[in-house]
Amino acid sequence: MLTLNTFFRLFFLLGILPCVIVLYGIVPQKARRWVLLLSSYFVFWAFSGKLIVYLLFSTLSVHHFGLWLSGIQMEEQQLLSGLSKDEKKSVKKRSKNKQYAVIFLAVVIHIGLLLILKYSAFFATNINTLLGVMGSDYSLEVPKYILPIGISFYTLQAVSYIVDVYRKKIQADTNLLRLAMFMSFFPQILEGPICRYSDTADTLWQAPKLKYENFLLGLQRIVFGIFKKLVIADRLNLFIQNVFNDYRQYDGFIITVGVALYTLQLYAEFSGTMDLVIGSGQIFGITLPENFKRPFFSSSISEFWKRWHITLGAWFKDYIFYPLSMSGPLKKLTAKSRKKLGNHFGPLISGSIALFCVWLCNGLWHGPAWHYIFFGMYHFAFILLGNIFDPYFSRLAAFCRINRRALPYRCFQIVRTTVLVCIGELFFRSNGLKAGMIMFKKMITEFSLKSLADGTVFKLGIDAYDLIIVLISTGILFFVGLLQENGVSIRDGIMKKNIVARFAIYYAVIAFIVVFGAYGINYLPVDPMYANF
Amino acid sequence: MLYFKRFSQILVFFIGLTVVLRGLSLAFMPKNNVEDSGMEAVRANGILGEKANTIDVVVIGDSESFCSISPMEIWNKTGYTVYVCGSNSQPVNYSLKMLKRAFTNQKPKIVILETNTIFRNVGLKNTVLASLGETFSIFDYNDGWKKIGIKDMFKKASYTYTDDKKGYGYSSVIRPSKKTEYMFPTEEREKIASTNYHLIEKIKDICDDNGAKLIFLSTPSTINWNYSRHNSVKDLSENLGCEYIDMNLINDEIKIDWTKDTRDKGDHLNHTGAVKASEYLSRYLEESKLLSDHRNDNNYKSWNELYKRYLKQMEGKHL
Repeated sequence: MLTLNTFFRLFFLLGILPCVIVLYGIVPQKARRWVLLLSSYFVFWAFSGKLIVYLLFSTLSVHHFGLWLSGIQMEEQQLLSGLSKDEKKSVKKRSKNKQYAVIFLAVVIHIGLLLILKYSAFFATNINTLLGVMGSDYSLEVPKYILPIGISFYTLQAVSYIVDVYRKKIQADTNLLRLAMFMSFFPQILEGPICRYSDTADTLWQAPKLKYENFLLGLQRIVFGIFKKLVIADRLNLFIQNVFNDYRQYDGFIITVGVALYTLQLYAEFSGTMDLVIGSGQIFGITLPENFKRPFFSSSISEFWKRWHITLGAWFKDYIFYPLSMSGPLKKLTAKSRKKLGNHFGPLISGSIALFCVWLCNGLWHGPAWHYIFFGMYHFAFILLGNIFDPYFSRLAAFCRINRRALPYRCFQIVRTTVLVCIGELFFRSNGLKAGMIMFKKMITEFSLKSLADGTVFKLGIDAYDLIIVLISTGILFFVGLLQENGVSIRDGIMKKNIVARFAIYYAVIAFIVVFGAYGINYLPVDPMYANF
Repeated sequence: MLYFKRFSQILVFFIGLTVVLRGLSLAFMPKNNVEDSGMEAVRANGILGEKANTIDVVVIGDSESFCSISPMEIWNKTGYTVYVCGSNSQPVNYSLKMLKRAFTNQKPKIVILETNTIFRNVGLKNTVLASLGETFSIFDYNDGWKKIGIKDMFKKASYTYTDDKKGYGYSSVIRPSKKTEYMFPTEEREKIASTNYHLIEKIKDICDDNGAKLIFLSTPSTINWNYSRHNSVKDLSENLGCEYIDMNLINDEIKIDWTKDTRDKGDHLNHTGAVKASEYLSRYLEESKLLSDHRNDNNYKSWNELYKRYLKQMEGKHL
């Protein structure tokens, strides 16, 4: 059987993707959508084999629920005509209740399936521990399920579709195949981005004509993604594995380096995959939403999460934060607390409750383990502290005559945020919460430069040469990011250059990847980091 | 017109890319067959430093090959020159590569393929990568920049290293095998992966083109060999019209003692085992009457000297 575990395999890059592009380019317009749909299911099958049934089930189910909701909404419209105000109110209430019931059922089925497959073992293990502590002999059987690739991503897409139909933002799709395409478009099935129906479904179904410019821009983006993955993420993998697996053997300096490099690796791998995904979409004329916007230029944790895994953050905001903060009980709480605590702290209480739920879900979404929950709570705590103390910091800065918009202060904020993010990623990557705590403690209590002086740090999977390449490559990323932060579009700049200069740039980038890419027998490629979330 | 312009641009781009990759390949390829120059599997690649057209028999395969065959023993018995181009976990695609390398400087009359490598599934990806690496060696030596200086990039390749034991991997360690009976007759056949089958056909074609005889050889191993593998290789050798020696089935003649002749519990032979296997191979090669004795040939004087050194080393190691 053909198997895939990452888009960075030659089988995908030199086999599947070019074949789909050629097929897409040569078939008539009406057949293009079929090429995309069949290719998407083929790729999903190559990743997940027979687990493709989960995707089929989700698609059929979400299609059915959409039509059901739409039917109730249409019925409501028909019943409303010619009714008195009171009768209208009563019809609307009944309709609303019915819609609530449908949406509840849909969410229970989709999120429930995700909970069973992904979290049942975690819950069972914890219940067993609790029972053990309480002295009970009874224990639950810990289930083992194989997760279909991308279930956390397409389930969120499915829920967003249903909720958007309920909110009348979109109309329920009568065309099952269009919905199937939205749910399964092959570049995004592994690690997202999490798309909204209103953003991609129609364009996917229209299956735009291949354009030379799109093709070139898409390829540029893919090559940049390969650069991030092969030159940075894969080169660091062996070192990071060693540090996180055998952390007890190493001092604080090595762990600090490991944590910093892991944060870099995670960014390079995930954003590199997104470049490949968005570039692949661009080749077909499909604009997929961006997932990264130079997160390490953020001046606060809150800003960081508006720039990192943007589509996940936006999903949580639209489908958890807003519904919760706008719910009756929290609205009442806001009104009451505003009276007692004033305009700053009043709304903060209900907002913080909603925020807590968002970050609990965020932590759990990343994985069924306590260190992921801790990771969520860690960010929640910093965002909450930021919300509470921001007015005081502003006053303090004004008192000390510190210009918070000045470059030095902004640099301080960026460095501070990066350090806090790195510490968060330590718990994210650690092999359990306890291991994370020990590593964090070692970073503080056992920090010494001895391992740098005696060269131990260069014997753990990367040598000084590797580190130089990583530093140069990170410098390139930083420079590109800086230009983009200042509104400079490098890709447009390249496209405007004459053919000689353009080709010279392409050759230089390809040569850099070919020579300095970490592939071959001496390296351990990193698995797609977000694929299992 | 627009299509023609774009097509030309793409064509020019790929021509340019080929030139860039060729240039990088030339710059980063090992300029000598030693580790410091970035050469992999140095012992096996020692054949590149051998005097031209002096090797009679080339052996390819994984660790079973270099643990079981000692060319110096064969030299002593027959005066034939054998070089073992086997390396650790060598997949068939690398065996093919080694064979091609061997033929650039040598004209062996016999090529022996140790059959354990046949069951290491190469897969399509590695085959594609290997072909890519053959055309553009930068894909094989992309880590070479760590070991070479700017000057080295522009040097011409010159291979100077030769292995004194001609590719043999000596070990006197004894770790007995508990299993002594392992060849239980069966009609079953272990599947040979299609990519591997195709690569072996290629090896056969190259041997034919160069006038060399291809022989399949299964050296003794209680862990890696069994009857279903034997059956598959037998079918393969018949299909390709090659001779097949399975040493695992003729232990009455070779007399491997699994309590003394293995270095790792039956996985590989140790030196005493290799001496026995090489003795048998010497007799087999003599019977083929394809090769001539070079012991009194002045061109091969170095082999006699190397044998003396080899003997001294072996005696020293056995003291």
